[in-house]
Amino acid sequence: MFVLLRHLQRVRREAALPRRSGARSLAIRHVDAGSCNACEHELTATAAPQYDLQRFGLDIVASPRHADVLLVTGPVTTRMVGPLRAAYEAMPEPRLVAALGDCALGCGVLGADEEIVGPLDTVLPVDVRIPGCPPTPQAIADAILAGTPPPARC
Amino acid sequence: MSPGAASSQGVERVEVAASDWRDACQAALARGERFCGAFAAGRGSAPRRWSALFADGANTRVLSTVPTRDELPSIVDLVPAANWDEREAHDLYGLRFGGHAPLLPLVSHPSDASSWTVPVEGEGVFEVAVGPIHAGVIESGHFRFHVVGERILHLDPRLFYKHRGLERAAEGRELAEGLAYAQRACGACAVANSVAYALACESVLGLVPSRELRRARTLLLELERLYNHLGDIAAVCAGVGFATGNMAFAALKERALRLNRDLVGHRFLFGSVEVGGSCLAPTPTAVDRARGELRELGQEAARVWREIQFSPSVQARLEGVGVLGHDDAVRLGALGPAARAAGVSMDTRAASPELWYGSSFAAAVPPGATGDVAARLEVRALELVEVFSVLEELLSDPLRADTAGRDGPPATIGVARVESPRGETVCVMEPEASRVERLHLRTGSYANWPALAFSTAGNLLPDFPLINKSFELCYACVDR
Repeated sequence: MFVLLRHLQRVRREAALPRRSGARSLAIRHVDAGSCNACEHELTATAAPQYDLQRFGLDIVASPRHADVLLVTGPVTTRMVGPLRAAYEAMPEPRLVAALGDCALGCGVLGADEEIVGPLDTVLPVDVRIPGCPPTPQAIADAILAGTPPPARC
Repeated sequence: MSPGAASSQGVERVEVAASDWRDACQAALARGERFCGAFAAGRGSAPRRWSALFADGANTRVLSTVPTRDELPSIVDLVPAANWDEREAHDLYGLRFGGHAPLLPLVSHPSDASSWTVPVEGEGVFEVAVGPIHAGVIESGHFRFHVVGERILHLDPRLFYKHRGLERAAEGRELAEGLAYAQRACGACAVANSVAYALACESVLGLVPSRELRRARTLLLELERLYNHLGDIAAVCAGVGFATGNMAFAALKERALRLNRDLVGHRFLFGSVEVGGSCLAPTPTAVDRARGELRELGQEAARVWREIQFSPSVQARLEGVGVLGHDDAVRLGALGPAARAAGVSMDTRAASPELWYGSSFAAAVPPGATGDVAARLEVRALELVEVFSVLEELLSDPLRADTAGRDGPPATIGVARVESPRGETVCVMEPEASRVERLHLRTGSYANWPALAFSTAGNLLPDFPLINKSFELCYACVDR
């Protein structure tokens, strides 16, 4: 096993593959707080073969209880602010909140004032901001990977 | 036609007395017209108005009435498809519908579950609550399943968690400005919603789309259908754990999105539709590259589709699951691939003279039309073949920027019906001078949700994600 791992490390060095930017894996829980669904399409695309974010240790998990990152899309509607807070409260600490897309960031939001609570940072503390309408899968991947701590050693 | 009626561009508006409401709707149905939506108008102290739309080929009849003290007789017994329309009007406009009992809340979210669910009782009956936040990357919505063991007896869906009040927010905007509200109702139906809005506005302005405009919009609609259908097939494969099919079609969808970016400038084609014109003029090099890529996508999609078709373990999971029969599809007003899979030969593209579909265009109905998950998947594969051929035809001639020509008197109300990847999307735009007074969108997803919920009865609870994916309806353009 260790021989194999050392071999793999040598092969990676020789091939000059990019080093994994995160020392750990990250478990992500997505919450749609009123998006138009384009951000969801792009987030789903990060699992497509062209990106395959899982190889960087980034996984979408089913429960906020298993999550390190809460990835939120949409302008935060009045009907989603409660479930969003509940998901955040259910997460173990330390936890990160990422705003995915212009709506979650409060840019160019369309809708009636009385139906919208957001932007996200008025509801939860936002650590990672991913602009775009919608952000491309590449932008999502870059932002999340940049948000993860650098490796202690490789 | 009553004396107050105005007719233009295939839209006929008829004023009806509240007391004649049911008779007028019944007469429309008796003529063979199809109910295609209803909407309320009039806010604050203004009197409420209630209108129902009936389609006859490319023509639309708008029946309008002023309810007496905000109440009028329901038509749900005549048209079960009007169920959600009446409930929405009750929640947002305070209209009451006599005979629609119980009139359950739809957009409003009272905390007491008994106020919005159908009571299901008996030995061993349990409720399973799912959502609004789901396990995967899925839009927000709540499902209340009534089950015995693993078997679903009844499903009460509760959507509108994503209600952003887009229709209300569009009121008072300039017509060109209002386009954004229709488009952002839904990322995955952005083109269908925008084209419907643009056509509705143009009929009000007395504009007629030119040949170039019709071709550009048809191209955009089919590019939207392409990436949606590819993604939908991937989703059904994921639903049965067939990773090969899922990954292959997910990769094809990504290539289609990149093609959109290279040809049109945006992966989801945002900003590509305008009111009264089109500036879509791709360079010959870009068009050539797109045609080459489309040919490859078509061959690859056909190849992987054959693998899915001839994989017995995959087919066995799809057949007989989530059956929506022909009569139920008609009764509940199902549209698009869901209806065609049930043998309903209806496709609004065949009745869209303001777009660029040939006179030979026919709805793709799979042989057998079993109305199950397998049939809904097959419709998409059949339609993909059509999509590739329409796109090749449109791209074989250069596209030029153009504006709509002026022709004939402006209509008092704009109504347009466009086939989105999920069924017919209806856009109504009532103007006040040069501004939007009332915007209403009834998307293919909106029409299909009640049919989806109905088709789950009798199925296993763990099959719900698969059934849901086979319809692949949006929540965003329902909630608006």
